[in-house]
Amino acid sequence: MTRRMGAAAAIIALCVGAGVAVSAQQWPKSSLPPPLPARSVAFPPYEIRTLPNGLQVVVVLHHEQPSVTFRLLIRAGAMQEPADKPGVASFVAALLNQGTSSRSAGEIADAIESAGGSLGTGSGNELSFINGVVIKDQVDLLLGLVADMVEHPAFAPDEIDRQRRQMLSSLQVSYDDPDYLADLVLDRLVFGAHPYGRPSDGTPESVGRITRDDLVNFERTWFVPNNALLAVVGDLTSDEAFAAVDRAFGTWARRNVPAVAPVDPPTPARRVIVIDRPGSAQTEIRIGQLGVPRTHPDYLAFDLAVRILGGEGANRLFGVLRTDRGLTYGASADVRAYKNAGLIVAETDTRSPATAQALRLMVDEYARLQHEPVDARELRGAQDFVSGNFPLSIETPSSIAEQVLSRLFYGQDPKELETYRDRVDRVSVADISRVTRELLKPDQLAIVLVGDASAFVGDLKTLGFGEFERIPIAQLDLNSLTLKRPPSFGPVRPGPRPALPPA
Amino acid sequence: MLRKTLSALIVVGAVVLVSSAGPATVIRPTRFDYTMATLPNGLQVVYLEDHSTPIVHLAMWYHVGSKDEKPGRTGFAHMFEHLMFKGSKNVRPDQHPSLITSVGGQSNASTDEDATQYWETVPAQYLPMVLWLEADRMASLDVSEEKFTTEREVVKEERRMRYDNPPYGLLPEVIFDKAFTTHPYKHQTIGSMADLEAASIDDVRAFHDTYYVPNNATAVIVGDFDTAQAKALVEQYFGPVPRGKPVPREIPQEPAHAAESRFTVTEPWPLPAVVVSYHITYDGHPDSYPLHILAKILSDGDSSRIYRSLVYEKQIALAAFGEAKLIEHPNLFYAVAIVQRGHTPEEVQAALQHELDRVKTEGVTTDELNRAKRQFARDYIFSRETDQQKALQLAHAVVIHNDIKTADGEFDLFQNVTVADVQRVARTYFTPESRMLLTFLPGAAGAGR
Repeated sequence: MTRRMGAAAAIIALCVGAGVAVSAQQWPKSSLPPPLPARSVAFPPYEIRTLPNGLQVVVVLHHEQPSVTFRLLIRAGAMQEPADKPGVASFVAALLNQGTSSRSAGEIADAIESAGGSLGTGSGNELSFINGVVIKDQVDLLLGLVADMVEHPAFAPDEIDRQRRQMLSSLQVSYDDPDYLADLVLDRLVFGAHPYGRPSDGTPESVGRITRDDLVNFERTWFVPNNALLAVVGDLTSDEAFAAVDRAFGTWARRNVPAVAPVDPPTPARRVIVIDRPGSAQTEIRIGQLGVPRTHPDYLAFDLAVRILGGEGANRLFGVLRTDRGLTYGASADVRAYKNAGLIVAETDTRSPATAQALRLMVDEYARLQHEPVDARELRGAQDFVSGNFPLSIETPSSIAEQVLSRLFYGQDPKELETYRDRVDRVSVADISRVTRELLKPDQLAIVLVGDASAFVGDLKTLGFGEFERIPIAQLDLNSLTLKRPPSFGPVRPGPRPALPPA
Repeated sequence: MLRKTLSALIVVGAVVLVSSAGPATVIRPTRFDYTMATLPNGLQVVYLEDHSTPIVHLAMWYHVGSKDEKPGRTGFAHMFEHLMFKGSKNVRPDQHPSLITSVGGQSNASTDEDATQYWETVPAQYLPMVLWLEADRMASLDVSEEKFTTEREVVKEERRMRYDNPPYGLLPEVIFDKAFTTHPYKHQTIGSMADLEAASIDDVRAFHDTYYVPNNATAVIVGDFDTAQAKALVEQYFGPVPRGKPVPREIPQEPAHAAESRFTVTEPWPLPAVVVSYHITYDGHPDSYPLHILAKILSDGDSSRIYRSLVYEKQIALAAFGEAKLIEHPNLFYAVAIVQRGHTPEEVQAALQHELDRVKTEGVTTDELNRAKRQFARDYIFSRETDQQKALQLAHAVVIHNDIKTADGEFDLFQNVTVADVQRVARTYFTPESRMLLTFLPGAAGAGR
């Protein structure tokens, strides 16, 4: 039907006499039209309440669709796991929906999915989370399940075994993924022994050693309401939303959580690591250094500076690597800021023979951001994007809730959201010069190249990167600060170290 | 035919489900309150006002994708999409994205087998700018040889990044290449390196003249605007673009397959992978709705059959999923599993095929059907949240279904699917002749490809 109608339309067009597409010469000159009158825009309303047990709750109302979205954040992640057992937080997160004292994994999945819901769990450097969506008539069911998952997780031995097998096989695949490895190795180089530097999915070796007690202790210690934040968003009244949260989480018992002493990351030193993955079609490139914590007074100016290097839209790295030379599909730079410390990372990927050239261009652009004042128009461009993007960032209730949650998580006043654009607009070229001078360390960059080393190590010397460590992919050990597995340890290929008998 | 089916089946309000478990009704999501108009030059335009946030989204679709590509020019539709950012009469190369970001907006483009879509989301007052930008490149694209050559390298890097370098990246390329003999769905939208290299600047001009004409385009505007004002702007900017020649649609069709096919390929991936596929129908065919539901029962969530059996209970697969790829022309129902350590590809492939085939003999349960419908309703709601998502639904209905009413009407078609429908489509399409069994073994790249 569809195709026949297309043919009919084509015949009609033929009958009325087909035109010919206009050439660029014939099309009239014109210039960018002026905008229409601007609309007013303000951060939408939200409400925050704290339950008697300490659970902080954010509610954002939204009535267009008959749905409810929620996000539960626990203030604990890789940072809080035992130093010698990376992977505990992600192991716990993976097991949260795999059984409680009264429901099996299958019963949980059936209940959520029959309600038209879905649910995801995970963990990061300093948080664990459960996210979900549901059609609004089933919100009690979904919140009740989530409360059961955090209050009464089963950690059944057969589920632990099943999950361990999954994690080990997943790591085997991930350890062959250059993009994954490049990110992990850069974190290790920049943060060293600091918890942010540990591989948060664990390693084949650590996942094999994690016990049920490790999981239970982590969950019991950190998964308490006074260490959690919950956002509920959607087609409810605010009283309905808070009442539903109270029904589900009101009996969750408060408990004191241990204080976590902040750890300073190590002093950085220049290090160039080549992870040799023969046969690669491209090299994954990362360069980076320590940044600032999320609450640092210069965070905003620093973020703008890094946007000039590699932020949204036309940025310097994108210009030199992609637009001018066709060396890559993507090039970007970001700041990642956590509670204790942060990271700047610039990344790209390029065909193997172009690796050294692309790296040279990146490092030079990185240094130029410090050595030359930025052009006022470039700064204006980055500011215009950030402040102009504000109305786009409040389109969905989930993104509104996410911004409020994030402020609460880092101990900031959510009211700052209302003055955000003004603060962005006040940053000057002098501010950028000051923060790049104080914070950028181009001579201490950590550099990671994951690719076919034989295609580019010769060029590295020629282009000024004479000192590098070359590590065969099979010898990579993310547990170790040397990144290298001792020759006598373990199998040749990472991953298949049998922690369990086959199923 | 589609229109008739739709009007016969559409019911208003909540659809009542009969179930022993789970909720009994599905809440009907809000309908789109759009208007549609066609300019004299053939450009179809859809307007949907949404004043909840002061932003506006423009989706500009051209009805051309990789299935329209000629032999020897695979990947061209997508490479052309990149070139649309490389300058026109009044817009300098790469100026388009910088104008958009300078107002805080976002823009991008994508190409698939059937269509190429360009989009911009901007603060509401910049609607004239995005219309002007899209009209200018529709009417007067002007790409230099130098820009063309550089951008071709970018596209080759995109291919390396997405397909050649990551483990399992080439999986779709091999699946469709083996499953199809004739239809251009045989090749991936990214195309081959050799064909990308063979393309010339003359191909670019010819492609623009043939496909980038108003009579092959649909614009969907969603957001905080006034329809009368937007119509005047659309006529101002797009009205002068002349109609093009009728768009050619000679696409070779896939013949019926007479016998099962089996292939074994080696790739340097960490664990073996297995595939089972069957040829199915196209998007919008009455059978497409039960096929979508069947895919959900087999593969959506931890309660789905394939996950529960292969990953959870038997623990023979690291990951396993199935998809009904329902697009403009008949495509595939395919299921993939990554083989868990300690198990054989034969064992996992047999288990995967068993899950598909047993629907033919045993059917599905009412509980499974109702669960799939609630999951469908959830996806339906959450794919209509943003202006961009709404525009995508409307554009898809116009361009792929040639019927904008399907943007709302399909909800009811899905809710009316029965257990008998699901079993019937499994019996219709999961036949031995239409089956392909494909195995990937770890080893040197490409043997058997």
